[in-house]
Amino acid sequence: MQLGPDPSSVRRRLIAASCALLSSSAARGEQGSVTDKIGRMVEDWKIQSALAYYREDGRIQAIEPVISAVRDLSDGGRLTLNFTFDSLSGSSPNGALPNHNPQTFASPSARSLAAARHLYTVAPGRLPVDPNYSDARVAGGVDWTLPLSRLTRLSVGGKFSYEDDFYSATANAGVEHDFNDKNTTVSLSVSSENDFLQPIGGAPTPRSDYALFEKGGHETKRGQGLLLGLTQVMTRNWLSEVNLSLDRFSGYLTDPYKLVSVIDGAGDPVGYVYENRPDSRTRRSVYLENRVGWTRASAGLALRYMTDTWGIHSDTAQLRLRWWNAGRDQYFEPSVRWYRQSAADFYRPWIAPNAAQETYLSADSRLAAFHALTYGLKYGIKLTDRLGGFGRGGTEFNVRLEYYQQTIQNGPAAPGALQGLDLYPSLKAVLLQIGFDY
Amino acid sequence: MRRKCILLCEVLVLCSLTVGCSSLGVKPWQRELLSRQDMQPDGNGLDDAIDDHMYFSKEASSGGRSFGGGGCGCN
Repeated sequence: MQLGPDPSSVRRRLIAASCALLSSSAARGEQGSVTDKIGRMVEDWKIQSALAYYREDGRIQAIEPVISAVRDLSDGGRLTLNFTFDSLSGSSPNGALPNHNPQTFASPSARSLAAARHLYTVAPGRLPVDPNYSDARVAGGVDWTLPLSRLTRLSVGGKFSYEDDFYSATANAGVEHDFNDKNTTVSLSVSSENDFLQPIGGAPTPRSDYALFEKGGHETKRGQGLLLGLTQVMTRNWLSEVNLSLDRFSGYLTDPYKLVSVIDGAGDPVGYVYENRPDSRTRRSVYLENRVGWTRASAGLALRYMTDTWGIHSDTAQLRLRWWNAGRDQYFEPSVRWYRQSAADFYRPWIAPNAAQETYLSADSRLAAFHALTYGLKYGIKLTDRLGGFGRGGTEFNVRLEYYQQTIQNGPAAPGALQGLDLYPSLKAVLLQIGFDY
Repeated sequence: MRRKCILLCEVLVLCSLTVGCSSLGVKPWQRELLSRQDMQPDGNGLDDAIDDHMYFSKEASSGGRSFGGGGCGCN
């Protein structure tokens, strides 16, 4: 006699099977719920991301991923988050002049010129650069704009930046008001920045003899800024913007890694001193931008004049043009930027041994008189209908290439042995950027 | 004295622009082109942020469009 299965055993198996089925359905349901939640979260945000690769001719290279997320809030406000990571490496100019003879320097972490493992030697005729430059930076920020009334908005925000030797925190707040049927917007913003510097090897005493290694601990600097803006709709295809800005920085504004060569009458280096910049700086600028649009094109022209209490005056002009194809799903954007600046009052490519009376001095080429040109080309393609169900209105892939060249004006005539050397080498750099917007 | 004159001129220019602007502008239904992303004051997105950081580290001037700096020890 064949015995049938035990009814209780069948019941247990059925219950187990039901439970398994239910649990797997529940798991699927939970998974779907999480996916839906993520989908809904992302759906509410406009995300821009980019990976930039920057490389200078024989100097620094950097890789910089950037991401920004913007969400329009139900009350009419807007929340913006951004995050940046920089990885830098290569060779950084230390401020000293080239020479016909080899020159030996110590890395910033060295305590004396006797520690051989911290030394680097620069070949004759070459620009002295620290070949072991390396740094990483993490930065982030948040901005929240909230409506105070139908025509007035308040914005508050903050950002931070962290490097091995530098920390920065900035808070900003602003208010903007619409007039004239929302064709005119006036804004007023303020910012406050606090920086903490902890240079590798310590902060050198400004103007001190390089060979003495007079270094202290950390330093600080502060900054406050004021920005007054006016945005005006001129016509149905023309938008104009004017900004006036004023900012002031105080504290340790000296670059702790920059030197100045001490050159004798024959043109030979007899030593080096650490640079020394004034401990305050006030800058003012006027910025004007115009954007004009057509059905398949747009143009943007930005002009800026800036001056500061260090004696630097600068002019900047940047033109961007964008052409769309007939389907308006691809565009090309060439751009050109021209920049020039005068030298800081205390810019000295080198000093004489008897120049002790000069309190402030710097050989940093960024404070020299120079002009720079940037040529760029960007290509973008809308992916809204190219990614199946994934694409949406703002989905775009883009790639951008820029070439930057900085040409430094020759300074004073070089004494004896320095003649024939390229004391003011130009800087050339390329930037490649790949972006994805969603 | 010269600085005060420059500041006064700037304020006057801004005021005159504000007054002059009252006769400019468009109606809401004429904003089709102006609503495009490439026509927004901050329409260049991350390009400006990346460029500003590069220029901040290589030049003595920065900012103007928005607050300068960049929270970077590179300059």
